[in-house]
Amino acid sequence: MFDRKYGNLGRWFLGLATIFLLLFVSAEFGHSIASPAVATIQKLSGTATVVRQGQSIPATMGLEIWENDTLRTGPNGSIGIVFNDDTLLSLGPESIFVIDEFVFAPREGKFSIVFRMLKGTAAYLSGLISKLSPDSAHFKTPTASIGIRGTRFVVKVAGE
Amino acid sequence: MSSKSQGSNKKKATSLRELGKRMKPWSDVFVLFVLLCLQVGCSPNRDLVISSPANQDQSVSSPSNPDLILLLPDPDGKGGAVTVTTGGGSQILDKPGYATEVEDVNKPPLTPRPVSENEIKNVFGPALSAQPDPAGRFISFLLYFEHDTAELTQESKNLLPEALKTIKNRKSKEVYVVGHTDLVGTEAYNIELSSRRARHVRDLLVSSGIKSSSLSVSYCGKARPLVPTNDEVPEPRNRRVEVIVR
Repeated sequence: MFDRKYGNLGRWFLGLATIFLLLFVSAEFGHSIASPAVATIQKLSGTATVVRQGQSIPATMGLEIWENDTLRTGPNGSIGIVFNDDTLLSLGPESIFVIDEFVFAPREGKFSIVFRMLKGTAAYLSGLISKLSPDSAHFKTPTASIGIRGTRFVVKVAGE
Repeated sequence: MSSKSQGSNKKKATSLRELGKRMKPWSDVFVLFVLLCLQVGCSPNRDLVISSPANQDQSVSSPSNPDLILLLPDPDGKGGAVTVTTGGGSQILDKPGYATEVEDVNKPPLTPRPVSENEIKNVFGPALSAQPDPAGRFISFLLYFEHDTAELTQESKNLLPEALKTIKNRKSKEVYVVGHTDLVGTEAYNIELSSRRARHVRDLLVSSGIKSSSLSVSYCGKARPLVPTNDEVPEPRNRRVEVIVR
């Protein structure tokens, strides 16, 4: 139909349009499968970086944090982030912290936290997930696994 | 029947062939698209950065500098606990100001000990002062019930207006109502009782003008006592509905 009307040019135009459409759709899907924001940076001093898919991003106030991000602080750095469920997490100097999993979808009844501390110091204040789904929050260190029942605690990991 | 379906099959075959002809210029486009997708879609080295030295050293953390987990007072003042588990065993921390230490992944965590304010400040000062302000978080109210009923205690009836005021002031569209019981009775019975309590509070809120679309109701039965007790122990502080206002 189309090619009779518009000939080769029309065909090419349609082809290009489709490529763009498909690319757009796949990018959208890719985004939702990979990592939407699960937290934002609310406090910061000294140097801190967010490592996302192999790339280092300097931490700035308000920066969004994604699932699978790694947070690192320098020798005089500290950082505080607020998760979507109001869980508060902060790190002292020379710390490495990984967000392996964070799911807060109350409408679907889906809740999950898996955090991993590799090194340094951290303070944790639990949010809604600990209240609504008590067994869904886990905090791991190289030596131990911490089950959290709605509370506030600090962790020191010697690491290296 | 059969001839009809044959006819439509033929039609299908010809239209497929036509489609094939028409699609010919598209095949290149498709290949290009697949290639692009492969490039865009996967990032193979997502985990590369994480394999830090800390990972390799995890089994040799020195006893002189053990890992430490310390429970702090909850700003809600509503109790709470953490369970620390290693390959060698586990410890429950339920007293604020107490810490357990872990020397090695294969050893059990040490018996909890009290930690001085000074030590807390020395080790955790920077991490604690980087903690974002909890003031903007949710507020939660505990409403208590008479034994084995969905009847609020007088004290809790008096607290209800404050909860309502908070919901209205915050214009909250996210209110969670969570029902609980103490540990007397079977699990099934208490699930039902906690559900009745939660629904009772929901109904009270709705009849006071809170939209039911902003309320989420759930219940835990006896699974989540505020004050841990042995089974079959009556405990008024565990007979409760928590109203969490965001």
